[in-house]
Amino acid sequence: MDNPVETIGTASARIARLAAIRMMLCAVAPALTAIALGLLLEPIGDVTWARYGYALAPDRANVLSLALIGAGIAVLVAGSVMAFRAYRRANDFVAAAAELDDRLECDQEIVTFATLADPSAPESSRARRTPLFPVLWRRAIAMFVGLDVRREFRLEVGEPLKRSSIFAGVVALAMVLATLGLVRAPTPENTEAAKLRSIAEEIAKTATSSDDTVLADKIRQAADALENSKLPPEEKKKRIEDAMREADKAAQKRNNSQSGKNQGTGKSTAQSGKGNGKGQGNSSGSGSGEGKSGTGVGQNAGGNNPGAGKGGTGKNSGKNDGGKGSAKNDQNKGDQSNIELQNELAKAEAQVETANAKNPGPESKPGNDKNQGGANKPGEKVDQKSGSQPNPNRPGEIPKPGASGDRNIPSAGGNPKNNKDLGSNMGDTHLGEMPTSTNAQRFLKPGEKGSTVDIKDARYVMFRLPGAPTSGNGGKTVLDTDRPTATTAYVNAPLAPTSDNAPPDERQLVPPRYRDMIH
Amino acid sequence: MGAAPQQVSPDQRVADFRKIFSRAESEVARVIVGHRDVVRKLLTALFCGGHILIEGVPGLGKTLMVKAASETLGLSFKRIQFTPDLMPSDIIGTQVLTEADGHREFQFKPGPIFAHMVLGDEINRATPKTQSAVLEAMEEHQVTVFGTTYVLDPPYIVLATQNPIELEGTYPLPEAQMDRFIFKVVMGSPKPDELREILDRTTGTTHNKIQPLFEPARAPQAIEDLKALVREVMVAEPLERYIISVIGGCTPGGPGAIPEVSQYLRFGPSPRGAQALILCAKVNALLAGRVSVSYDDIDDAIIPCLRHRLLLNFQAEAESVSAESILEQVIKRLKKPRT
Repeated sequence: MDNPVETIGTASARIARLAAIRMMLCAVAPALTAIALGLLLEPIGDVTWARYGYALAPDRANVLSLALIGAGIAVLVAGSVMAFRAYRRANDFVAAAAELDDRLECDQEIVTFATLADPSAPESSRARRTPLFPVLWRRAIAMFVGLDVRREFRLEVGEPLKRSSIFAGVVALAMVLATLGLVRAPTPENTEAAKLRSIAEEIAKTATSSDDTVLADKIRQAADALENSKLPPEEKKKRIEDAMREADKAAQKRNNSQSGKNQGTGKSTAQSGKGNGKGQGNSSGSGSGEGKSGTGVGQNAGGNNPGAGKGGTGKNSGKNDGGKGSAKNDQNKGDQSNIELQNELAKAEAQVETANAKNPGPESKPGNDKNQGGANKPGEKVDQKSGSQPNPNRPGEIPKPGASGDRNIPSAGGNPKNNKDLGSNMGDTHLGEMPTSTNAQRFLKPGEKGSTVDIKDARYVMFRLPGAPTSGNGGKTVLDTDRPTATTAYVNAPLAPTSDNAPPDERQLVPPRYRDMIH
Repeated sequence: MGAAPQQVSPDQRVADFRKIFSRAESEVARVIVGHRDVVRKLLTALFCGGHILIEGVPGLGKTLMVKAASETLGLSFKRIQFTPDLMPSDIIGTQVLTEADGHREFQFKPGPIFAHMVLGDEINRATPKTQSAVLEAMEEHQVTVFGTTYVLDPPYIVLATQNPIELEGTYPLPEAQMDRFIFKVVMGSPKPDELREILDRTTGTTHNKIQPLFEPARAPQAIEDLKALVREVMVAEPLERYIISVIGGCTPGGPGAIPEVSQYLRFGPSPRGAQALILCAKVNALLAGRVSVSYDDIDDAIIPCLRHRLLLNFQAEAESVSAESILEQVIKRLKKPRT
């Protein structure tokens, strides 16, 4: 026979524990959702808004991510506090008795018993016991016969989880709304910065020396600078050029270290004889050939760029099918990525220049900030004042071939004819080559596609301006009184025929935003 | 039966109470057809130590019921017919000059109020002065005549009847006096089959005789023991809070008062109403075989205990809103949060 006071005490503790667990369960789902969303914001972005061309600025993404994680932790802490409070509140002897009373349908006999037998109650409450209290005690014992507190008070997770999932949904909705408010269509600078960052990431991953790490850092800095609207264009360019220099250095080092180490393997098949082939190119390569008998030595003209070596020719066999071989060339890959990197850096620089040309700088208000180059007073020549105020009328900078232009042209290495365009999607592999001009007979009509001009991603487009109209002796004044009289002078002379093979007169920078549009 | 509480176990005392109550109901039912609820309330009021106000038209057997109850329990019974010219001394008693052994002295001659069970018929026909004379007896269980106080022997219960018709020339009981009755019971007309049985019993030759439960000498003590048992029934604190919330809910402007209360009531029940509720609930608990009060015990007691303690305003009278309907609303409103 159990003591009914102990039974009620056990039930009270059980109810308190369950209350705490239920409260915690309510908080767990929203907290975990918030934390998971915060941690997985980037992958989520990759499969959602990024797929539709929208971007979340890294600083905003960081803030959102931190906010979500912080909110999750806060919910967890709040849930813990509330669970503790729920435990304290539910750990009530009389309340537990009331709960038991309801479940066992005891007409408040257990509640009455509990109020008079509560161990934590003051002594005065026991004084309220009457001579009938033993009857109540015996009846309470009889009511608790067969009562299993654990079975009576089960942990039911359905309801708290249901409530919890509603809160989790609210958190997710809040995250979606916050994201909707924060995402922006990416600017060309954002796109370029993202590309640079991915390259930097790749370099950092495959870094073999500290130089690579430094290069990756420089690229990241350049990317950050590109996106940072507060930085002046000069500073942006400086950082990009830093990265370019670092890229040059890395390329130079790689070339030096790779020189003489590249190996090509060739396989030659001869009808008879066995041949070993050696190859020499700009980088050395070796090929081996097998024949039925004999040994052959041949030349491997494995180039460093294409990575293909020719097998040697069997010397002893006399007949060699000219074995084909393949050579792996790590340098090729490195060069490609380097080209891509330099290409992207050049694009970034061009974007800075374009943006600079578009936004020549904030207009100075009269008498405003002297440090900004002085105030423009009417009639005063202040454009040349010292300061970082750019001239709004200056022409866009055109990269000169001798300076940074050279950096964009990778060394051809070997016979250019052996160079093979592997079709990188990261940039122009035609740098250094001038595209052959084609005759543009006329403008294309809307929707019409003309002959393909393979200058995709070209940095420069060369075009020829028509010659000045020359009338020569062919000009003749005709009097036509029926015609309306022109108010301005005009020359009624045909344009001189131009030669298709004439060299281009000018080359102009193609604005980056149009490069992908030209086919 | 009716043994001293010290000699019997608590369980036995509870069982005895139920048995006596049940037998008393049965004995009264031998002469009173129907009205079981009124009989039960009468006995409950007796064991609570309260008084009861019975409202009903003449000829329903009110006097017979009280007489049957007193006879069953072995208690003395007196009946007072209240009239406008009834004087307080006619009820309480008076000093009478008597001569004995050559000495003349005033001797107190007790009035009809000196009995265990007093039936005040049509109490609203007496003047307020006479009505107030009954008040002291009802509340203090004593009367004072010429400066001398006379204690009324326990148990003491007043059963007053009120005729709801022929109100002309009557003196409706003031609120203070109404509050002294633990119950107000409304006696309705008998149902057809009950009326047929009444006719059979009263117009035939057979007469049912009541078997007293106690000897007259032992009856007062036995009843007092049962009254003590009622007071020993325990009430949990949450149930006391519920009773308080009921009283507050019936008081205009009180805590938890429902809109109907504020709209139709001038005054709510007094603390005496809460006492009545608890005592009545305790009797209900004992009758259910329990030694502690339940919510249902309280709910059953609310209307008979509080209906005459609510003072309706003019709007309620005009809209024929009864105190019972307001109390039902209060019970309905309070029942939800407690379950």
